[in-house]
Amino acid sequence: MENIGPVPGPLASFHITIAPDGSATVRISGELDMSSVDRLEAEVERVLAATPPRLVVDVGSVRFADSSAIAMWVRWSGAVPEFELRDPQPLLRRVISTMGLAERLGVAA
Amino acid sequence: MVSSVASERLEAADAPAFEPSGGPPRPAEPGNRRRTLGLPALTLLVGLLVTLALVLVSQSQYTSNENRLLRLRVSDAGAILTTALPGLQSNLASAAELADATNGNVAKFDRFVSPSLGGASPQFRSISLWQVHHLRSGPLTVVGTAPRLAVSASEASAFLARTSANGKLGVIGQLGPPEPRLGYAYAAGRFIVYAETELPPARHARIQKRSAFTGLNDALFLGSTRRPQDLLTTNVAHLPLPGPTASVTVPFGDNSLTLVMSSRVALAGSLPKNLPWIIAVLGALLTAAATLMTLRLTQRRRAAEELAQRLEVSATENRRLYAEQRTIAQTLQHALLPDVLPQGPQLQASARYVAGELGVDVGGDWYDVIELDERRLLLVVGDVSGRGLHAATTMAALRYAIRAYAAQGDAPPAILTKLSRLVSVADTGQLTTILCVLVDTEQRTISVTSAGHLPPLLIDGGVSRYVEGELGLPIGVESGAAYDARRIPLPETGTIVAFTDGLVERRGESIDEGLERARTEAAGDEVELPELLDRLVAAVPGGRGEDDIAILGVRWRT
Repeated sequence: MENIGPVPGPLASFHITIAPDGSATVRISGELDMSSVDRLEAEVERVLAATPPRLVVDVGSVRFADSSAIAMWVRWSGAVPEFELRDPQPLLRRVISTMGLAERLGVAA
Repeated sequence: MVSSVASERLEAADAPAFEPSGGPPRPAEPGNRRRTLGLPALTLLVGLLVTLALVLVSQSQYTSNENRLLRLRVSDAGAILTTALPGLQSNLASAAELADATNGNVAKFDRFVSPSLGGASPQFRSISLWQVHHLRSGPLTVVGTAPRLAVSASEASAFLARTSANGKLGVIGQLGPPEPRLGYAYAAGRFIVYAETELPPARHARIQKRSAFTGLNDALFLGSTRRPQDLLTTNVAHLPLPGPTASVTVPFGDNSLTLVMSSRVALAGSLPKNLPWIIAVLGALLTAAATLMTLRLTQRRRAAEELAQRLEVSATENRRLYAEQRTIAQTLQHALLPDVLPQGPQLQASARYVAGELGVDVGGDWYDVIELDERRLLLVVGDVSGRGLHAATTMAALRYAIRAYAAQGDAPPAILTKLSRLVSVADTGQLTTILCVLVDTEQRTISVTSAGHLPPLLIDGGVSRYVEGELGLPIGVESGAAYDARRIPLPETGTIVAFTDGLVERRGESIDEGLERARTEAAGDEVELPELLDRLVAAVPGGRGEDDIAILGVRWRT
């Protein structure tokens, strides 16, 4: 039978820690697409409101991220003085470089 | 396929059966209620009938068993009654033989029979000797009390004559008050010995203490009938005996005894007697339990059916809404894409838009072909991140902005720089990748400008390769970003294909694998442009992916 019902979004989980100096680390794992991006963005919005001096997004456990996730990281990178996208897996790194964003997000191509 | 499903759902939505059932669940219809009560009522009826049948069977079994036991007891008791007779008969016979042998010597007779009348419990109250041929003249001698028989001479002579004639022990009841007696007579030769025994006042003989009589009501009659005047003994105050009776008639000398009995207690014990009641109570309880259980099960089942029905209605509604939304999304998508592509003798364009599996929302992919003049064609393929109306409006805005800037004569790098000032990811949360390919048959060049977009495929003489240009930032990252065009010479004939990432990006697979798959598919013998595009789309593994695919091709002959 044709799958005509909405497919539930992939499971993504995230964990946010704030250092004493206000630096924030967001650790993400799983698969990121529009459905999980909305949830994650709402969480991180509150962190960004406090203008942390540094935002580290640890994506070492992210297996997949679509363009809406990448757009979200680009937006974050413009919202804080210092931004780091940490440990992207090779597939993700390649997608970022095909979009010409390797330098912008501090990712080696 | 998709559109046919959609229209089917939409038609179905018109049917009243699929109308959304808003509000509280409807109350059960009367028919439903009857159906709910039908099965429990049947269970109750069947349970009670089965219980009743079992009660009747066990009751009848009990009754017939009791009757059989009673008959056995009566015949046992009857056999016991007859055992008393031989001893009695031999005593009288001996006395009669003595009298006959001694020719009626009264003194010897008296001596012989005296022991039978003495002692604490004498066997006889009265013994008398009679002459067969002189019955009317009374007894020769009497030992003990006067025989009650002698009160009526005619009755006595009739009885004794009959006894003498049939040669058996004669038995006669002298049962009138005040002291009822039983008379026995035995004849030997010319003499008859007649003896009377007293019946106990309560007419309750010691034989009744025997085990054969315990637990039973009994009544013993002389003769073969049950006339009250023939009653010898009974252990009840008033005749007839209560309850069902059994009787036996046994020979007693020339007379007979009739024993009638009924049981005071259940002969087979109390369990068989109470069994019908036990069955009735247990059966009623089981029936009640089964009925209640059936009632609950029926109610639960009905509730489950109603729930399933409601779920089905809402699932149908969901499918309908989904199909409707999908149709709306596709309609909007197609409205935002160009209707007609240039089909000139030198330049020919073709495109495909394939909605992804998640295509409930309108997607952010687009393509456009702008005829700058007769010799120049600008191909645009773009991809706004995200989906939905938000993405679609950005897409439409960018598409028409490109057309406007192109109409002003801007070259693709300038167009993209201007676009970068229009939108920002900080405001919209969106990034847009755009690829501009300018095919100039006059200058004989192809120029490729990319805002973070995947490179186009160039197919020339069966060989396919990507035209990698200077990769600029996606639109929205940086206002006023700079872009460069890469120019390559235009082959005499050739095809260029631009596409969005849905064609080459799969979860868990490197984008390079997807790019290589598309390149390989495009190489080889030349096929018509629409067929080439179809083949590229069909080569995507797993059929339709999650993402939309926009693919645009232009072929030229110069």
